[in-house]
Amino acid sequence: MKILVCIKQVPDLESRFKPNTAGTWYDEADLAFRMNEYDEYAVEQAVQLREQVGDTAELAVLSIGPDRVVEAIKKALAMGCDNAVHVQDLQAATRDPWQIAGIIAAFARDKGFDLIFTGMQSQDRGSAQVGVTVAELLGLACATTLVGFSFDNGTITAKRELEGGVKGVVKLSTPALVTCQLGLNIPRYPTLPNIMKAKKKEITVIPVAEILKEEALATTEKFYPPAKKGGGMVLEGDMGDLVDKVIGILKEKTAVLR
Amino acid sequence: MESTREIYWNIGHGVVAPMYLFALVAFGLFARGFWQRFPVYRQGKPLSRLDRLPERLLLMIRGMLTQSKVVRVVDPGSLHALFFWGFGLLFIGTLLVMAQADFTDLFFHYRFLTGGFYKLFSLVLDMAGLVALLMLGGLLVRRFLVKPEGLETIRDDYVVHGLLFAILLTGFVVEGLRMAATEIGVNPSLARFSPVGGMFGQLFVGMSSDDLSLTHKFLWWLHFFLVMSFIAAIPYTKLRHIFTTSANYLFIDLGPKGALATINLEDESAEQFGAAHISDLTWKDLFDADACTACKRCQDRCPAWATDKPLSPMKVVQQIGEVARATPKANLCETVTQDVLWSCTTCRACQEICPANIEHVNKILEMRRNLTLMEGAFPGDEVRTAINNLEVNANPFGLAYAGRGDWTDGLDVTIMEQDSAVDILYFVGCYASFDKRNREVARNFIRICAAAGIKVGILGKEEKCCGEPARKLGNEYLYQMHAAENIETIKGYNVKRIVTTCPHCFNTLARDYRDLGLDVGVEHYSTFVANLLTEQTLKLRPEPFEFTYHDSCYIGRYRDIMDEPRNVLRQAGGRITEMEKSRYESFCCSAGGGRILAEEKLGSRINIARAHMARETGAPLLVSNCPFCLTMFEDGIKTGGCEGELVVRDLAEIVAERITT
Ligand code: SF4
Ligand code: SF4
Repeated sequence: MKILVCIKQVPDLESRFKPNTAGTWYDEADLAFRMNEYDEYAVEQAVQLREQVGDTAELAVLSIGPDRVVEAIKKALAMGCDNAVHVQDLQAATRDPWQIAGIIAAFARDKGFDLIFTGMQSQDRGSAQVGVTVAELLGLACATTLVGFSFDNGTITAKRELEGGVKGVVKLSTPALVTCQLGLNIPRYPTLPNIMKAKKKEITVIPVAEILKEEALATTEKFYPPAKKGGGMVLEGDMGDLVDKVIGILKEKTAVLR
Repeated sequence: MESTREIYWNIGHGVVAPMYLFALVAFGLFARGFWQRFPVYRQGKPLSRLDRLPERLLLMIRGMLTQSKVVRVVDPGSLHALFFWGFGLLFIGTLLVMAQADFTDLFFHYRFLTGGFYKLFSLVLDMAGLVALLMLGGLLVRRFLVKPEGLETIRDDYVVHGLLFAILLTGFVVEGLRMAATEIGVNPSLARFSPVGGMFGQLFVGMSSDDLSLTHKFLWWLHFFLVMSFIAAIPYTKLRHIFTTSANYLFIDLGPKGALATINLEDESAEQFGAAHISDLTWKDLFDADACTACKRCQDRCPAWATDKPLSPMKVVQQIGEVARATPKANLCETVTQDVLWSCTTCRACQEICPANIEHVNKILEMRRNLTLMEGAFPGDEVRTAINNLEVNANPFGLAYAGRGDWTDGLDVTIMEQDSAVDILYFVGCYASFDKRNREVARNFIRICAAAGIKVGILGKEEKCCGEPARKLGNEYLYQMHAAENIETIKGYNVKRIVTTCPHCFNTLARDYRDLGLDVGVEHYSTFVANLLTEQTLKLRPEPFEFTYHDSCYIGRYRDIMDEPRNVLRQAGGRITEMEKSRYESFCCSAGGGRILAEEKLGSRINIARAHMARETGAPLLVSNCPFCLTMFEDGIKTGGCEGELVVRDLAEIVAERITT
């Protein structure tokens, strides 16, 4: 069984984001990078499946980006992926989901993956489109926002998180692609022997120009912090007056009482 | 009349041969008992504990003879010491008798137990016997009647106390019988030198000489067999501690306190990290279990045990011994349990007090290393998050690493990246960098330095967590990652002197980083400020205040720094009321050993217990000098209901308020 898990390295959300000089994306100086949280669930699930299937399974991890993404790849290898593909791309951050999905699909097309795991979305761009687009491009069955996963004899039983906290269960057969959501599992902490083993695992480097054939469908025009919200209001005075004032404000400034 | 006695009186020299035969059997059993234990120790990894042998021998002899570690706990330590000295003198006396009767007299017709020396000999042994008997009585009462909480009494205790009591009693009775016949009324001037023996002798005055002779013979043999049983029983009962504990004085760790083996992460052949099994510990760890006297002093001082957590350092040591002897294949961490292992704050109270030189803390840390490095385990999800934060942003809060130097806003602090010509490098640490309350401490430390005209540099966003909490949770990999980066940065600036406000950073940089190649003088600010005051580079305007002081584990017990901070506070005008548990007996704040990152879910809260101890002094102010302590006490005072009665402040805040220019 061949399994692929796609991961992205993203800036830690606590970092200080500043627009870059072009004003089209964030400046990378002073940012701390880490593996996209949802992708960690994907890696964990893929590794669990790899362990379930045993030695006949092979689990590859793929990441697109500049050299810094190797850190995230190493973590995935230490968690239990067998080998890795690093699509070297200095512009990865500015590509739209269509191009990213195109790169993954171009890589995966003739490799015969039975199952592809991705995160539900990235923490920085948050488009949630890459996984589903890859499935579409490769003609794979697809289920998104997984909070439960089991695999038995070619059939995936996936528990999905739907709107409003409702859950749905779907079954799909391989080949398939699933995107992973918070709550699916608790990603393991790599053990030291596995970290050491990971250092020897193979990382294939592919320059992006070799496999990117698609033009962007959307461009990012502008990147800026949200305008500072107005300060809060402190109302003081007699209870009766206060109630009137609050009702007035709610009518005037919100849709609550209309 | 001559002042001596006939050795083998009423027994006859014919007993010598059978006596030595029985002795041989006893010593044979003794040797066999210890011999059988060697394979148990040999299961452990090698460790050199016989280097600097003369120093070690001296320490051992001194430790044994002075009983200095034993008497540190006056009750029952002094009973044990007096018993030991008494019994020891009796032992020496018996050897002298043996030397004369079976050697010097036999071969050279030379007797030294005569005249004045014999009188002294009689008196000393008589008194020694009395002291030993009384002390044993005291110990018996303590163990079997008073029954101190936590003291476990097992079969061995009955055997040991019974044997010793019978030996001392029969010794006196035999002496009394002999004296009734040969001294009392016959040689009263000599009898005076055995007052206790004489009292026993009075009981038998008037007994027919046949009865007396028979009773004496019988009891002499009984006494002899009791002594032989005692010797044979040593390796099979708690009595073994006479030898194992003494040997542990020889095997003492002569390295700096708190040093933990630095794992070689480059070694690609290594398959096991930390201790999962007995064979992953050293022979000394296994030997320690045999050296333990089950005195429970460690348990009595363990903050985890005192707050109803499952950890008892004594039990951990004993469990390791049980596994080593009975089930050497068993998984140690499962036997000891994770809850126990994670409960330790590495406060070192156990190790500090242990009269047997047992090294508890590193055993626990080696097992934690196995849990963390081999199993990826955490004490809780909050710790998992904190460790992830450390990996990403090099601080446990997960705050942007780039903001690490933001606390300096408006202060005159040099960022090393911009200018590295400074007097000291202040290694700030995570708490003083990011935690709101502790930032005040950092700012006040800078004010103190400014007043003393010291140019302070910091690494700012180049500084990473020193790695201590991760390391104490067993995560050597993460520790070494941050340590290596810090060391490289510090070396790059050619730093000559480092000062920390955090005792954990201090210990780590000063001791642990040495293993990884940092060789710069490191100080904690409590001694640094004390020196500034001595040199009069810093002058204070004392304002009177009442306070109590908390010795943080890593400044006090680990570094023996206890007077300096107290002196600084006194010079600031403070009047101290000590807590009952202070200095080497200080009670942890709960945050050591990486527990600062963990929620305290088992038992009651250690920091509240400590806040209450501070409140009991009646002083309105608790002073500490550790960011972890400060954090825990701010919380302990609130959640422990001490608000309004007690506030906690850092030493730097007190000093900074009283600076004169
Ligand atoms: S170091 Fe402290 S917390 Fe840990 S076992 Fe010893 S006394 Fe208990
Ligand atoms: S480990 Fe030391 S302090 Fe603890 S019970 Fe044993 S001998 Fe006593």
